[in-house]
Amino acid sequence: MEITWEDGNRITYSAEQLRWACPCAECRGEMGAPGRLSRVKTLSPEELSIKDVTLVGQYALQIAFESGHATGIYTFPYLRALRS
Amino acid sequence: MALPSSQQILAVLSHIQDPDLGRDVVSLGMIKELEVNHEGKVSFTFELTTPACPVRDRFKSQAQDLVGEIPGVTGVDVRMTANVRPAFMRPRPSEILPGVKQTIAVASGKGGVGKSTVAVNLAAALRNSGAEVGLLDADIYGPSIPAMTGSRQVPEQVNGRLRPIEAHGLKLMSFGHINPGDQPTIYRGPMVGKAIEAMMIQVDWGQLDYLVIDLPPGTGDASLTLAQAVPLTGVAIVCTPQDVATDIAVKALQMFRKLNVTPLGLIENMSWYICPSCGHRHEIFSHGGAESAAKRLGVPFLGAVPLEEGIREDADNGTPVVISRPDSAGAKAFVHIASQVAARTSIQSFRQLPVINVH
Repeated sequence: MEITWEDGNRITYSAEQLRWACPCAECRGEMGAPGRLSRVKTLSPEELSIKDVTLVGQYALQIAFESGHATGIYTFPYLRALRS
Repeated sequence: MALPSSQQILAVLSHIQDPDLGRDVVSLGMIKELEVNHEGKVSFTFELTTPACPVRDRFKSQAQDLVGEIPGVTGVDVRMTANVRPAFMRPRPSEILPGVKQTIAVASGKGGVGKSTVAVNLAAALRNSGAEVGLLDADIYGPSIPAMTGSRQVPEQVNGRLRPIEAHGLKLMSFGHINPGDQPTIYRGPMVGKAIEAMMIQVDWGQLDYLVIDLPPGTGDASLTLAQAVPLTGVAIVCTPQDVATDIAVKALQMFRKLNVTPLGLIENMSWYICPSCGHRHEIFSHGGAESAAKRLGVPFLGAVPLEEGIREDADNGTPVVISRPDSAGAKAFVHIASQVAARTSIQSFRQLPVINVH
C-alpha cells in the first residue's frame, strides 16, 4: 500500500508490516494484558495479505486482511510515524 | 502487419461497463499507462476504485480477450491496481450520503446552549441563499428539530428507504419523526451510533448542497460515530459566553481536531439581551467569551447571536426566526453566521486529503 500525503510525501507500506503494526486491542493488548502479536511469532499468509482498505471519517484507515481481521484503525499520524 | 493504435485499443476497452458506477471503464479513467511495443505487445494498467472490487477478475479477462482480438496484437499484459480516492471514499461507497456535497456538523460539548436553534436557523439561512439544504437531527435522546420546524409527521417509506420530511424548503430527519410522542428513546451507546448511521444510510437525502447535522452535547458516541462514518467538511461549535460553557466548547473542538475534522469556527449564542421595557443592553451570560476562546485556539469566530424572545417563540411555534422575522437582530446574526460558515466550507473543498494506493 502506498500513501501520498497532503504535503506530497510518499510512503510505501508492505501488508506484512501493516499487519504486525495493527493497533487494535486484540493485537496490542489492553489494560496491561499482552496482546496476540506479542504471543505469536509467525502469521499465516492470509493474515499478511490486504483485502480492503476503507477510510474512517477523515482521520484514519481501517485495513481488512484476507484472514478477516479488520479491527485495526490506523490513524494518519500513526501511519506517518510508521516507516518501511 | 500494422501495429494497433491506442485509439483502437481504448475503443474496444470502452465496451467494458463498471456495474456499480454505471459507466464504461475508459471514460471513468481506469485505463492508464497504455503502451504498444514494436512487436505488437500491448500493456496497460487497469486502475480500480477499490482493491476489493467484486468484478476484478472478470474485468481482467474481459480486457485481455477484447484487446487480444484486435488484428496485430501479439500479447496483452494487464496490470490490475486500485486507487481509492478519499474525497469520494465512503465506508459503503454508494450508501452513505452519495448526493451530498458538504456536511456541516453543529456541536457544543455542553448542553442547553442553543445548538438546535443555531442548526435550524443556519440551515434555513443557507436555504434562503438558494442552496439545497438538509438538516439531520443526531440527538437521539432529546430530538428538538421536529418541534422547531413544526414538522411532527412520520416519514414515509419508499422502497425500504425513508423519505425526509419537507418543511420550510428543508429536508429534515430526526429521531423525533421516527419515534414521535412522549415516549423516550432508551438506548445504550452502541445503539445511538446505529441509529445515527441509519439516518444517513436509510434516508433518501437526494442531491444536497449542504447537510447540516445537529449533534447532541458531549464528546461520546454520537460525535464519534459521525466523525467515523462520513468525511465531515467541518464542524461549527456553539457556546454561550460564560467560562463554564466556553471551557466545554473547547473540549468539543479539540475532540474534532483529534478526528481530523476541521473546526469551521465558534458561534456565541445568548450573547446579549435588549430589555424590551427599558431598551438597555444586558449581558446576562457575559459577552465575548467565544470570541476570545476562538482567538486563543486559532479558529475563526463566526458571529454572535442575541438572546431574543422572538427566537424562542418562533422555535416553539415551529418556524425558524430567519424566515418569520428576517429583520430582527437575531435573524440578521444567523444570516451573517451562515455566510461565514458557507465561506469556510468552500475553502475546505480545496483541502488535500492523502491518496491511498493498494497494489
